[in-house]
Amino acid sequence: MKSDTLHLSAVYTKMIFRSWFQYRVDAILRSFAVFAREATSIIVVYFTLLKFDTLNGWNIYEMLFLFSLVYVTYGILIIFFTGLRDFGSTVKNGSFDRYILRPRGLLYQLIFANADWFAAVGHGGLGILLFILSAAKIGVVWTPWSIVYYIFSIIGGVLIQGAIFLFLASLNIYLLETNSLKEVFYWNARKFAGYPISIFHKAIQFCMTFVVPFAFVNYFPAQFILRKEDMSLYPGIFMYLTPVLGIVMYILAYAFWRYSIKFYKSSGN
Amino acid sequence: MKISPYMAFAKKSFLQKSAYRLEHWMGILNTLIRLVIYVEIYRALYGGRETVDGITMSMVTTNFILSLGLESFFVVNDYYLSSRLYDGSIATEMLLPVSFHGRMLADNLGTAAFKLIFHFVPAMIVACLFIGIQAPAGPGMFGLFILSALLGYGVLWSISFLFQMFSFWLMNVWAVMTIKNVFINVLSGSMIPLWFMPGFMRTLIGFTPFESIYFTPVQIYLGKITGSEIILGFAKQIIWIVALLLLGFMVWQKGQKKIVVQGG
Repeated sequence: MKSDTLHLSAVYTKMIFRSWFQYRVDAILRSFAVFAREATSIIVVYFTLLKFDTLNGWNIYEMLFLFSLVYVTYGILIIFFTGLRDFGSTVKNGSFDRYILRPRGLLYQLIFANADWFAAVGHGGLGILLFILSAAKIGVVWTPWSIVYYIFSIIGGVLIQGAIFLFLASLNIYLLETNSLKEVFYWNARKFAGYPISIFHKAIQFCMTFVVPFAFVNYFPAQFILRKEDMSLYPGIFMYLTPVLGIVMYILAYAFWRYSIKFYKSSGN
Repeated sequence: MKISPYMAFAKKSFLQKSAYRLEHWMGILNTLIRLVIYVEIYRALYGGRETVDGITMSMVTTNFILSLGLESFFVVNDYYLSSRLYDGSIATEMLLPVSFHGRMLADNLGTAAFKLIFHFVPAMIVACLFIGIQAPAGPGMFGLFILSALLGYGVLWSISFLFQMFSFWLMNVWAVMTIKNVFINVLSGSMIPLWFMPGFMRTLIGFTPFESIYFTPVQIYLGKITGSEIILGFAKQIIWIVALLLLGFMVWQKGQKKIVVQGG
């Protein structure tokens, strides 16, 4: 059974690669487009800080370090959670009904049949590049402890965002249309997660910490190395909560998913 | 050429838009959130300074309110042509006794009109009340601003029109459109006020159509450019519209012969 599942995952992955390479030019263009789109915020920050030097005490390299964690976690995220991100259209066009008929777990199918490896390379590549470049410029000294810390924080960051996707996918079962919610609560938050949250209004800080906790994906983990002055505004323990929060949020979202899936009604045709 | 069928198409897309309530409210919220966040970022960047390079904080705020406001109803459907090529409906559409391009524009304008009334206006009211916008440089300048904003939409539409012609050769234009939109986002002034671009970038951007979309109207509104500079701004906008459309039509002529409809 176990090796069977493993085999099936491998088959799924091979299929994804095959379908991509059917249109080679398109695959390359797409990866490049994703890369360019994601680099937009980096370009904007770069030009802005060329003029202003620092943003609330953060220089360009510290900002890039902050950004890099958003991209690295997202690169891993879309290997596993693309199916949940696009769950809305899966429900709308009825292909979710097919998943239900198959003798495998729904979540398992959603995850392995939809992994977006090319976008993962685009995002993850950009993230790793930024991470290495900026860490070197900031003068990060890597110790076993800090390496372990970042491995766990990145896993935590992936789980936090995965939980948000899973939660929104579950909401889809009731609402049928959650794209606009996702736009406001996920994409918008992500677009600005690269900025130190301390510059924002208290209400936005609260949202980024407790509602859509992007601050735990990058801001607090980045502070572990950087220890910028604005960290004094928050409890020091926040720097260590990312993995815990990730696991807790994911379990809650999973429970909500299991509960909601019972109410699933096909959208018909 | 009769105008009434196009009005009907515009009205149809106007009404279509009004069907999605939640999406609509979230759209307004989205515009406002982005606005607040950009303003907060710049407030932090200014760090209490009155002006940077002669640009006051209230000019920066006004730039964001106007360009994000215009962006909210400057609707262009980048996939109008490609979706019709993809599902084959282009064949029947080209048989209709109305111009395909006219339909394309009418469809976009209908949605834009809807967004202007129900997205732009409420978002503007909230923004002006809670964030505060600088008054226009004068009533005359305000008139010129509106004219220039209309031409700005023309430029944005013409860029999309030209890029849509790639649909004849590519099965999927998503990548091309995404890259086009990266250029618009970075170079049109809606993400960075162009005053703060480094000198060589400003010069470079001057040779592209992008600053004509949002930045020229904003400059006129604020009275940052006057007299002959305004005329130059208008001239650039008009030249870009004409050039892009001409080029687009040329490519259309070539592409039209390539249409292959796969089944139906």
